[in-house]
Amino acid sequence: MVKQVPDSQEVVIDPVTMNLNRSLTRNVTNRADENALEAALQIKDRTDAHVTVVSMGPPQAETTMIECLARGADRAILASDRFFGGADTYPTGLTLAATIKAIGKFDIIFAGEETSDSSTGHVGPGVAEFLGIDQITYASKVEYKDGFVTAERELEDGTEVVKVPTPVLVTVLLNSNVPRRQTLRRKIDAIRQGFESWDHDKVGLQPEWVGVRGSPTIVRKMRPIKEKERAAKKVDIAGIPDLVKELYQKGVIKVESD
Amino acid sequence: MSEFDVIVVGAGPAGSSAAIKMASQGLKVLLVERGDPVGSKNVSGGILWGNDLAAIIPDWEKSAPLERYVERKVTSFLTGDSEIAIDFKTKKFQEKKTGYSVLRTRLDSFLARKAAQAGAMVVTGVTVDSLAMKDGRVIGVVNEGETITADCVILAEGPNPRVAMAAGLVGKPNDRTVGIGVKHVYKLGENVINERFNLRGNAGFAGEYVLSFLEGDVYAGGFLYTNKDTVSMGVVINMATLRKNGNTHSFDIMEKFAQHPFISSLVEGGQLQEYSAHFVYEGGYEDMPRAYGNGYMLVGDTAGFSFSNGMILQGMNYAISSGILAGEAAIEARKDNDFSAESLSRYQKKLDNSPAVLDKKNFQGISNVVWSPMVHRAIPALLESSLYSMLYESGKPKKHLSQIMMKSLKSSGMNSKDLMVQGYRLMRRM
Ligand SMILES: Cc1cc2nc3c(=O)[nH]c(=O)nc-3n(C[C@H](O)[C@H](O)[C@H](O)COP(=O)(O)OP(=O)(O)OC[C@H]3O[C@@H](n4cnc5c(N)ncnc54)[C@H](O)[C@@H]3O)c2cc1C
Ligand SMILES: Cc1cc2nc3c(=O)[nH]c(=O)nc-3n(C[C@H](O)[C@H](O)[C@H](O)COP(=O)(O)OP(=O)(O)OC[C@H]3O[C@@H](n4cnc5c(N)ncnc54)[C@H](O)[C@@H]3O)c2cc1C
Repeated sequence: MVKQVPDSQEVVIDPVTMNLNRSLTRNVTNRADENALEAALQIKDRTDAHVTVVSMGPPQAETTMIECLARGADRAILASDRFFGGADTYPTGLTLAATIKAIGKFDIIFAGEETSDSSTGHVGPGVAEFLGIDQITYASKVEYKDGFVTAERELEDGTEVVKVPTPVLVTVLLNSNVPRRQTLRRKIDAIRQGFESWDHDKVGLQPEWVGVRGSPTIVRKMRPIKEKERAAKKVDIAGIPDLVKELYQKGVIKVESD
Repeated sequence: MSEFDVIVVGAGPAGSSAAIKMASQGLKVLLVERGDPVGSKNVSGGILWGNDLAAIIPDWEKSAPLERYVERKVTSFLTGDSEIAIDFKTKKFQEKKTGYSVLRTRLDSFLARKAAQAGAMVVTGVTVDSLAMKDGRVIGVVNEGETITADCVILAEGPNPRVAMAAGLVGKPNDRTVGIGVKHVYKLGENVINERFNLRGNAGFAGEYVLSFLEGDVYAGGFLYTNKDTVSMGVVINMATLRKNGNTHSFDIMEKFAQHPFISSLVEGGQLQEYSAHFVYEGGYEDMPRAYGNGYMLVGDTAGFSFSNGMILQGMNYAISSGILAGEAAIEARKDNDFSAESLSRYQKKLDNSPAVLDKKNFQGISNVVWSPMVHRAIPALLESSLYSMLYESGKPKKHLSQIMMKSLKSSGMNSKDLMVQGYRLMRRM
């Protein structure tokens, strides 16, 4: 599962619709999803598996579809329909799960750990739940052998190794591998091959289950956060009282008495 | 059989123009650009002079992403605290446009999109590593060790053409053939721009400046163009004089230009949106490589078509026109099924009658005159001190202009004979 996200660090929020304005910035493939695809391709290298890329997004996600094919995916499906617009994580997961189901049999679903634009990390686990399969989250290393996936999970206090039978969904850590480059040869072939665009009918979902209508969350308010001013200063011991005074006057520190 | 009729390397104005021309005539074209999206590698902003796009995009003045048309053109000398300028404004340009300011990220992606619409395959984010050769002719391009074949390759790599250089088709850039360009884009807002530059509607300002106040012998020209709600400003620095002054940095020169009292007031409060540095091709007629050979053609900056000397900066127009001519040549060569050097020499013939080559030929040697102590030091100093003496009311009897000029000349450090000789050369070259 691969999502196209805005590249820019600055997120522009449309003051009227409260939506993220995605047309102003350059769009790229979510970086963790490149790692997810690479993890899948590495298994393909060893087992000659068939890799299908699935995305939900607007038509301009075409460039991401071609890019994934050019890196080595065998097939690319973009679930794209105006009814899918404005989805929160619930219908996003539902739509992706339905698309995957419609494709047919699968062994492993790879997702990124989270996206760089909304970063909820909900969608991968959501898809696993909709499909009723096991999941391995935050994996840094993934191997497949004889119907089992063995994965290393990076946890706060160490690395956990888990072994799970397929079918299974794996979310992959950002920077856990080096995505292969697109080559001119593969890119030409990818453009010739093209990708598939599926509407809600083809995905097999009613319009009222998806997109903004299928979203249980309502966004009340969104506002850009002003970054606090920061400064660094070197003072010797004698300068500390002055510094404290300055910080106090600027309101950075407060004196509390009880 | 080759996979493509023509592969074009580089989707700048030259490469995309060639691709549009050829694809619209049914040739099988592959356009490869390392930037993703197209235009992201290019220094954004500049004035597109002339009407060359009309040949491939008849409605370009309506459909292309143009910022403002040039109504006011300033050529100016900046000394430490003065500006002496010719400020030419004419409403005539309202009827017949001479140039438009453009932002390259937008223009380049527009042109590449046109190429795709015409039927070319456009691949972005991939760099061509080298040419594929066989029996002394070009048979395609190589990327990551794989060859993609074509009957002809058009190299449109811009001013630093690694692929063409590696194949020995063009010489290495040297101090005489390249300068350094630095460009900043500042957001000012449409109203502020209109007010400060005395403009209305989509009329625009294009200024070129001789920066005579720089320390040492560094020569540099500055430019300032208005876009819709931003301004593009930058400097072009003469490489040879920069090298001689090892401790001067291009960004310092940019800074000094931006801080000049009569420039800073124009861009004050602007929010920096983009900055970049890039080679500027400055070679003359004598530096131009042969633009064709067995299975290949060179276009745009790669073929040496841009014109830059610190006072004039034109390259996009020649890039477009040379791209179109190479496209025409390829279409004819396809009909004859012959992409040999002999067949492609028709490209050279077309070029020989085009402004791209004629301008280069007619203005041969202008570079040496314009990048000179006369233009960059003597004339500005002379003008400043003469005007100052003439206009300043000292309370004493006035002197004749000739006396003032002689005195100013003395203070500028140039003798009158040198000035006469150089002045004569300049007039002849202009
Ligand atoms: C409360 C709330 C309200 C929102 N409202 C809006 C809104 O009004 N308009 C709007 O545009 N967005 C909105 N969003 C964002 C939108 O819900 C998410 O962009 C989308 O659901 C995916 O979630 P995510 O980006 O957090 O993905 P994550 O859960 O962080 O993604 C994890 C992984 O799931 C996969 N994945 C996620 N999304 C996709 C996809 N579309 N296709 C393929 N794979 C995918 C990828 O592999 C990814 O790495 C809202 C989000 C929230 C939390
Ligand atoms: C600071 C500055 C200001 C300028 N101002 C003006 C102006 O106001 N007016 C004007 O007319 N001209 C101006 N010029 C000159 C003008 O930019 C050039 O003459 C013009 O861009 C040349 O066009 P081109 O298509 O030949 O090359 P470029 O525009 O340089 O395009 C070359 C393209 O090829 C791509 N490329 C290169 N190598 C490869 C490879 N191996 N594989 C794939 N892709 C590759 C590059 O990414 C690039 O997109 C300016 C130049 C500079 C530096």
